[in-house]
Amino acid sequence: MLGSLVLSAQFAVGAAAPPPTPPAAQAPAPDRAATVRLRQPAAATERLRELASQREFDYRQSLADSNPQDSLLRRFWRRVLNWLRDSLGGPSAPSYEGFWRWVIYGLLATAVVFVVLKLLEVDLTRAFGRAPRRATLDYETLSENIHELDFPTQLRAAEDAGNFRLAVRLGYLALLKQLSDRALIEWQPDKTNQAYLRELASQRPALRPAFAEATRQFEYVWYGELPLPPALYATVRAEQVALGRQLGGAILTG
Amino acid sequence: MENETPFQPAETPAAPTAAFTPRTDLAQLTARTEAVRQQIGQVIVGQHDLLELLLTALLADGHVLLEGVPGVAKTLTAKLLARTLAVPFSRIQFTPDLMPADVLGTSIFRPAQGDFEFRPGPIFASVVLIDEINRAPAKTQSALFEVMEERTVTQDGTAHRMATPFVVLATQNPVEQEGTYRLPEAQLDRFLFKLNVGYPTLAEEIRILQGHHSGFGGTPLDKVQAVLSAPDLAALRQQVSQQRVEANVLEYIAKIVGQTRAHKALYLGASPRASIALLNGAKALAALRGRDFVTPEDVQFLAAPVLRHRIMLTPEREMEGGTADEVVAQIVQSVEVPR
Repeated sequence: MLGSLVLSAQFAVGAAAPPPTPPAAQAPAPDRAATVRLRQPAAATERLRELASQREFDYRQSLADSNPQDSLLRRFWRRVLNWLRDSLGGPSAPSYEGFWRWVIYGLLATAVVFVVLKLLEVDLTRAFGRAPRRATLDYETLSENIHELDFPTQLRAAEDAGNFRLAVRLGYLALLKQLSDRALIEWQPDKTNQAYLRELASQRPALRPAFAEATRQFEYVWYGELPLPPALYATVRAEQVALGRQLGGAILTG
Repeated sequence: MENETPFQPAETPAAPTAAFTPRTDLAQLTARTEAVRQQIGQVIVGQHDLLELLLTALLADGHVLLEGVPGVAKTLTAKLLARTLAVPFSRIQFTPDLMPADVLGTSIFRPAQGDFEFRPGPIFASVVLIDEINRAPAKTQSALFEVMEERTVTQDGTAHRMATPFVVLATQNPVEQEGTYRLPEAQLDRFLFKLNVGYPTLAEEIRILQGHHSGFGGTPLDKVQAVLSAPDLAALRQQVSQQRVEANVLEYIAKIVGQTRAHKALYLGASPRASIALLNGAKALAALRGRDFVTPEDVQFLAAPVLRHRIMLTPEREMEGGTADEVVAQIVQSVEVPR
């Protein structure tokens, strides 16, 4: 409750029915500045409550249009409620209580609908007539994240160990990272090399032949387990670096 | 920070293309399969993926289930493929009153000898076209379990071996159509691939009409010649079996199939037979594409044809209108490509 019931003082006084004042011979001039305390008997208050609770009466909170002591927020809500009342053709005296009650009802209804849909495992994205959003793999589930690998260090370690197969792989992953950083491909762990090749071909066709060759070499070495002598590795590495420089990222691949 | 290594890039790198070629000679395989493609291509317009998958199944020693609405050349495609092979061919039209003995054969009493003689049924051929397989009830379907998996037919305690190759090409209409039965899961699992035969594109349909308008449609099968013998096919299959599969790719296959057993939209996941099918199919596909090793691309390409008939959606997902292909795509999307 944000206010109190207001009834006219006249009605209150009438209800209390005080005795009539005897006429005076010379009435003194009224003192406008003086204050008079009106005492409302308990019986009158009870009577008022009883009347207010009767269904035939419709007592509402009186909201002054401009009360300088009202806060800005309070005035804002009052205006919103007035607008709602005018728009919806509701009763003439809106109340905060009614507004919040409907807000709570709305939230409860939404929660119930949501729970029911979740229980039925309904894909809500379909309800709006668009394709379900592509699920993004959680990077934490990955064995490694190309955006976090220290390529120069790992590449050097692989080369020092003579593990050229791993070195070719790291060089290729570094190329993928560069392509992803330059928004030429959309990195997704479930995409194949050929998918990236198609993406690059649509974004930057000039780079396609070089990346296609780098992909072929990587696949032969990694999936095909092609033995890689140092001389051949040097050539493969050179092609990777050349492509990396075309992409403007010699640091990662060089 | 420049990565100083002994393997500094050359300014003009030599193209190492020659080094990156298959270590197995796939020339014969490519030539033979290309000949089959050309023969079928004389009649069938378009359907390149379908042809590639049929050849893949042939090389992987697997059976194929072709599903599509009437009139999309399922039966014609199967007959054409059979015709390109110089091997015995038979066709069985499945009907609701077909009995197992009508398929497998039966023992006939010989009064003169006083014994029974086994008369082989139409299943005894190298390429068997079973047309509208889902119009026969489960009793008849069950007769195919043994022969499709073990390549033998046991009658009266005697096992009769099938010839090599033995390939079942079955066609079926979608199960929603009148007069069809759902195939038992055990039988579906015996098909390497289930291939959906779709409608042709507008351009393809115009080419079909042009061909028929110019008098092509009379006897199209006469145009097709047998270009692959049984020994040739056996040699190609031997080559396919020696394809390289890296350990991470094996794990990738196992993860994809394993996910079907945990997916909440699936009532029934795929069996280990599906993993083996995916592996064998990927090896054959890689060979067809000129590689002597399998890549994750091969696995992804075959995931739906291998898995779509081996999984069962939950009733809730079916009611929502979900399909097996959608679930397979979700599963593939949820498994990281080994790289």
